Amino acid sequence: MLGRNRYQNRIELLQGTLDMLILRTLQWGPAHGYGIVQALRVQSGEALQVETGSLYPALHRLQRQGWVESEWKQTESNQRARFYRITAAGKQQLMSDVGRWKQMVQVIGGILGEVEGGEA
Amino acid sequence: MSFWRFGRRLFERRKEELEEEIQAHLRMDVAARMERGASRAEAEASARREFGNVALVRDVTHGFWRWGWLEALIGDLGYSVRVLRRSAGFSIAVILTLAVGIGAACAMFTVVDRVLLRSLPYRHPDELAVIQESGKRGARNGSPYLDIAQWRARSRTFREIAFYDSNVRKTAFLNAGDATIHVNAPAISGNLLETLGVHPALGREFREDRASGAVEAQDAHSLMLSDGVWRTNYGADPAIVGKVVRVDGEAYTVIGVMPRGFTFPFGYEQPVVWRGLVLGTADTVRTHNANPDYQSISRREQGVTLAQAGAELNVIQADVVKSYANAIDAEDMTGIQLTRYADSLVEAKVQKALLALFGAAALLWVIACVNVTSLMLARATGRQREMAVRGALGASRWQIARQLLMEGLLLSSCGSLLGLGLSAAMLKLFEHGLTTEFGIRAQLAPNVPVLAGLLALTAASAFLISAWPAFGMSRTHIEPVLRQGSPQQDMGRMPQRLRAVLVITEIALSLTLLVGCGLLLRTIYALRHVPLGYRTDHVLVAKMTVPSYRFVGRNMTTDLYQPLVDRVKQLPGVEAASLMSQAPMDHAVRMEFSLGRAGASADDIRRSNIRAEFRAVGPEMQRVFGFRMVRGRFFTDQDTASSQAVVLVNRAFVKEYFGDQDDPGRILGEKLMSLDSKRRAQVVGVFEDERQVSVTAPPRPEVEVCIPQITPKTGFYKGAEGVAMDLAVRTDQSPAVMLPELREILRRASPDLAESTFTTMDQIVEDSYGSQRLAVELLEIFAGSALLLCVAGIYGLLAYLVAQRTREMGVRIALGAQRWDVMGLVLRQAAWMLIAGLGLGLGIAYVASRGLRTFLFEVKPDDPWTLGAVTLLLFASGLVAAYWPARRAAGVDPMEALRAE
Repeated sequence: MLGRNRYQNRIELLQGTLDMLILRTLQWGPAHGYGIVQALRVQSGEALQVETGSLYPALHRLQRQGWVESEWKQTESNQRARFYRITAAGKQQLMSDVGRWKQMVQVIGGILGEVEGGEA
Repeated sequence: MSFWRFGRRLFERRKEELEEEIQAHLRMDVAARMERGASRAEAEASARREFGNVALVRDVTHGFWRWGWLEALIGDLGYSVRVLRRSAGFSIAVILTLAVGIGAACAMFTVVDRVLLRSLPYRHPDELAVIQESGKRGARNGSPYLDIAQWRARSRTFREIAFYDSNVRKTAFLNAGDATIHVNAPAISGNLLETLGVHPALGREFREDRASGAVEAQDAHSLMLSDGVWRTNYGADPAIVGKVVRVDGEAYTVIGVMPRGFTFPFGYEQPVVWRGLVLGTADTVRTHNANPDYQSISRREQGVTLAQAGAELNVIQADVVKSYANAIDAEDMTGIQLTRYADSLVEAKVQKALLALFGAAALLWVIACVNVTSLMLARATGRQREMAVRGALGASRWQIARQLLMEGLLLSSCGSLLGLGLSAAMLKLFEHGLTTEFGIRAQLAPNVPVLAGLLALTAASAFLISAWPAFGMSRTHIEPVLRQGSPQQDMGRMPQRLRAVLVITEIALSLTLLVGCGLLLRTIYALRHVPLGYRTDHVLVAKMTVPSYRFVGRNMTTDLYQPLVDRVKQLPGVEAASLMSQAPMDHAVRMEFSLGRAGASADDIRRSNIRAEFRAVGPEMQRVFGFRMVRGRFFTDQDTASSQAVVLVNRAFVKEYFGDQDDPGRILGEKLMSLDSKRRAQVVGVFEDERQVSVTAPPRPEVEVCIPQITPKTGFYKGAEGVAMDLAVRTDQSPAVMLPELREILRRASPDLAESTFTTMDQIVEDSYGSQRLAVELLEIFAGSALLLCVAGIYGLLAYLVAQRTREMGVRIALGAQRWDVMGLVLRQAAWMLIAGLGLGLGIAYVASRGLRTFLFEVKPDDPWTLGAVTLLLFASGLVAAYWPARRAAGVDPMEALRAE
């Protein structure tokens, strides 16, 4: 069967989270795609490996939403690369995303705590 | 095109940018890895591995662009063009098939649109209705004013009832400057324009007499011009209002010009001017032949249905009819027939013919689509590998379906364009029949609603032909197809069976069309063999526009007609020539006369209201038309104005009014009627019945008088000679030779006569076959195309199946099967499809042909000969189509077939 693609599935799974992480990373300053991957890896202590297969679609999606904007610039190593920068709307989006994320963590944590408590 | 290129460039740039972004990402990754100590090759490999499927990243990212779908569509289109160009044969077959189906449907829709869906140039034309009195002898064409006045006074469901007097055949002569032009000059009531909701663009309307609805006497010599007459003949002169013009020699003052596009009554060929209808003393009585008859047109109050209004009028009419003194007159006026004005313009029979033909065209379209679907399915099977590869490369199910739908749309668009051309050609080809039969005046060309319909048809065709393959294909399983690697892998038994079902459907529908065509062919054959009662070969007929206004106070018979005929007779090549008030089947005008007779016997009472076709003819008419006499003699040159007045009657007349069991000659010598106060006319001959009205209508009672005996004192001089007169000429010469000379003679007799229209009697008879002949010609085309498509469908499917089963055939032959057995195998399959299709088709045809009943003449809708012959024809054609694939199957070389696998 020509089923839905593996990558696409993962994008769907991570969609909200990945967007939030990208926006968060861009809050430190403009970065290109590779920089974002590296930053996320380093910050997560190598635990989080962002699939480039979902990164670029996500970046273009964020740009279409108006949450990031991009321009071509030179890197320190004199490479031409597209740098993404968070916009005001992106910052707002990030705040609300983070808020929702925290709420969810709390709720899910509560449920999980209850389960553990029941077993204990 | 430039938009396209601009769009493409935009996509290209974005694509390049994304590509560069990805490459930059990879380079940075490689550089970082090399810094950590990996070799370039290792770094590149692992960077790529980590990045994943570049193509897919690209694809998914493209998907987020705003114009992604458009780009995808353009991509699909480009790909479709390439694919279809690569298999040109297939594409051409599909496009031609669709063009035939779409073209036929488009042509018929053009006619339907023009005739049935036309919008009339009046305000809310749906509220307009024609009121006709009807009774024992069907609906009457006109009503006396007194009846109309009663409806106006008593009905509550009508906002307005208007009336007018128009004699369709009667040409009026308008003196416009130096030229005399032929116009229609109906007289209209004062409330007519208000009823239609249209008012003059220039000047004023007729002054309405509020009480009667007619025009006030002071406007008796006022005239309104149509926009066309005003522009063509008076150079759109705004000062025309107030000027005096002459119509039929009488002076009229122009009071107004109607807006462009307005015409009334609808469908006049000639330019129109309108006179005011002023009531006279004759309008104060209700006696047959004594008072003028007016046609009525009414506008209903809002929200009143046709049925409600009709019911009300019928109640009123039941009372009105009591006012008729003459009981026999009253018989004809007992009820009311109310018809939507638009419907009254098209005879019910014509309407049915049109819808039947439209149905046939739609059927052909369905057959074409079925045929193409079957082709598309076969091709989809052949393209499985291509689709599987696309699937493996990441194309989604929707993308593959979309691609196939795009191909369908491309094919059907090409088919539509070609079909539009075909339909234009067909309309041109049948222009004569279509315009005479359906009363279309303007040129038949596709207009906006037709083009919209075409667009819908294109989309529907595209969907019909590609939906099935598209969704079947998008469900293809990739792996087995790729593994087996054979481009001819079968999709499984399902599509094969599906194709067989499609072919069976095609056969069934084609049979239906063929049966309809066969029945009409038999009808035409029967019509052509009806004994008409006269000869039609070598007869030229001129329908003259009689300029009676030039002969006011003179005797047209001696001053115009006699010299005219004498001169025509002297032309070389003319065997005989004569005038008659109307040629047979020239059904433009029909005169019925009541021959009053006093008496008390049953026969006398019956004869007191004789109704007969009435004709004034010249003595040479028998030589022109070859009428056969049953008893007595025809008119001769000795029958003159000063001799004994004589009349002829036909056999049907004798039978109807004098009883004709043994001796039709009994009527000879009867004094039947009076030519004028002094002359009682004696019956001197009985001629054989002839078809006066149409081929299918039985002969009616007829009375003929001799033209030389008619003088201005003769009662019906005006009616017969002032309105209609046809010149009939028997000649060996071709019309091309005769026409200029005849026209010259007519012109010399009176300038107005030069405009007369000429036809041959053969053509008049041919035209009287009317809807049947047109239908059979169109159906021949439709049914022929259907037969061809059907044969192609059978051939295509069998050829495909044989190709699929080459290996099986090889094995059979290798194992000792006779070639004849293999051939039989294929032929059996064909026979099975044919029998199933024909069986189904006979069922459909049996039901569908019932709808043809009104067009059939001496043939029953379930005529076994037609059904049998058509079935046999289709069966034989089907087997012929199957023969070639069967022969190929039998010719399979077992060694090669096995090796090829």
